[in-house]
Amino acid sequence: MNLYRVVFQNLYRRKGRTILLICGQAAGIAAAAALLIMLQAARLELGNQIDEFGANLVVVPRNEGLELSHGGTPISRLSIDLKQLTETDLLNIEQIPDRNSINIISPKMIAAVEANHQQVLLVGVIPAKEFLMKPWFAFAPTDDPEAGQRIVDPVHFELPDDALLAGAAAAEALAIQPGDTVPINGREFKVAGVFQRIGSTEDGLLYANLPVVQSLLGRPGELSMVELSAYCNACPIDQIAAQLTAALPNGRVTALGQAALMRGETIDRFALFAALLAGAALIAAALLVLTIMTASVNERTREIGIFRVLGFRRTHVMQIILMEAGIGGFLGGLTGCIAGNLIAVTAGFYLAGITTAAPWQPALILPAAFAAALLAAAAGIYPAVRAAKLDPVAALRFI
Amino acid sequence: MEDNLLIAIQEVVKTYHPANRPVQALRGITVNVNRGEAVAIMGASGSGKSTLLSIIGGLNPPTSGKIRIDEIDLYALSREQRADFRREYLGFVFQQFQLIPYLNALENVMLPLTTTRYPNRKKRAMAESVLERVGVADKRDRLPSELSGGEQERVAIARAVVNEPPLLLADEPTGSLDTRTAAEIMDLFGELNGGGLTILMVTHNRENSAYMDRTIHLQDGRLLSGAAPEERPLQETGSRDGTGGER
Repeated sequence: MNLYRVVFQNLYRRKGRTILLICGQAAGIAAAAALLIMLQAARLELGNQIDEFGANLVVVPRNEGLELSHGGTPISRLSIDLKQLTETDLLNIEQIPDRNSINIISPKMIAAVEANHQQVLLVGVIPAKEFLMKPWFAFAPTDDPEAGQRIVDPVHFELPDDALLAGAAAAEALAIQPGDTVPINGREFKVAGVFQRIGSTEDGLLYANLPVVQSLLGRPGELSMVELSAYCNACPIDQIAAQLTAALPNGRVTALGQAALMRGETIDRFALFAALLAGAALIAAALLVLTIMTASVNERTREIGIFRVLGFRRTHVMQIILMEAGIGGFLGGLTGCIAGNLIAVTAGFYLAGITTAAPWQPALILPAAFAAALLAAAAGIYPAVRAAKLDPVAALRFI
Repeated sequence: MEDNLLIAIQEVVKTYHPANRPVQALRGITVNVNRGEAVAIMGASGSGKSTLLSIIGGLNPPTSGKIRIDEIDLYALSREQRADFRREYLGFVFQQFQLIPYLNALENVMLPLTTTRYPNRKKRAMAESVLERVGVADKRDRLPSELSGGEQERVAIARAVVNEPPLLLADEPTGSLDTRTAAEIMDLFGELNGGGLTILMVTHNRENSAYMDRTIHLQDGRLLSGAAPEERPLQETGSRDGTGGER
């Protein structure tokens, strides 16, 4: 017979209260665990969504000299290129160790051309890739019902070789609209669509198919730049940039610091929010243990008085209460963490709309159980001190 | 005689302050009890007998006065030292048995041994032996709720004596029992006293006091009789040597 035996017998024989204690703690731990696991999945999903939204890596030819820029990204002046990016480099990109982290590769040929007697930048792109990477592109509404019927998502728009798309500012400057014809370098291009105003330098560009622009400029297979969208969850963007630099001797790789910073800040904010929510769930669990243990001490006043009369020290009484809370917390943590895992894995989509599968985390269960035991014991300190301070005479109504 | 003295209570005063109004529960009590004596403490409700018992039990510091048990000044000890003292020197029996409901009879008896350093096997043997002695060895695995009142009282007595204390304090131990069972329990107290155990028993029951060597009478916190074995009790009633008690 020792204190552990007293504690275990109490927990075993007072099943109702023990189950209440375990369930209370389990509910809090389950909520916290499910929240953390779901938020981990949501964080991964958010990171991927941010990564998919625009480019976070740019490759330009490794050149010296005066540069034009596009979207704040330097583009080497075409006339004095010393080294060239080619479509062969695209194959090299697909060979880097972290190739699976690369989501979209969008090669481009950019040139300053004259259209309707004005200088304008013509960009050769693969529309399905360019507009997938930049989902903010949308066609402007048109009054032409026939043209209106053709309005589709730019990603799925099949751009004919004799057609181009115009940014809002370019269309305005050149005074063109869908259906018009624009001569460029002696070749006629039909305006297939005008984009809605974006509010960036992209408004001033004309877009045509990449092979068409390469052919128009007499530089088949050459590229002015390659924009990449990479997932940074699996590896840091700097690591991918280093691999690209090694794989592309003719290219200069730039990681877009602003994108990385924004991603980092957004995810950090999200993680803080997740931690706060989980913390709130744990505080709720601790308060529940505090309430249950305080009620238990009130209920057992006489019993605690007997312990003291029989020679138990105050510290012995405290040990009994803390052990009860700790064991209840451990069992609650164990069951709560398993339940939290199950909730996150099976119901994550319904509860939080997460499409990324929440990972089953068995390694979390034992540490969570011990953490829950500590949390419950900490919550049990107040009732334990209260129990230890009970006057045995008053407790037994001995007077 | 001094060598035989177990309890020396000197000028003990206890004042309570319910609602800031002082109430004197004990007014200068002086009592001596020898080793091996069985002493009944009698008095009307509110006379201070249970307060006296709780003070002797190290549970309730007196407002003034001294309690010495086995030459130890009880209230010179710290609260935790008094807890250790209770475990080694005192056994308690209560009116309502006060068994722990979730422990079986054997575990209840082992309870005072819980915080001792005896090996578990020895604790168990001591508890089984004392259960045998009080006649409920066959009920050792039963919970208190599965025992009769008399059986619960026997288990409570077994728990009080399992650590072989020199002094047993009992507060109305037969108050919840029928006459026949009460007599059996008093016989058991007699047997324990016969084995050398000093017993101090608070009781309302004059028949119970007949089992005791002497009776201390309290009234309004004052001692009316029975202060010490050698002193002539003024109103001694129901003693073992036959002035009013029956066995």
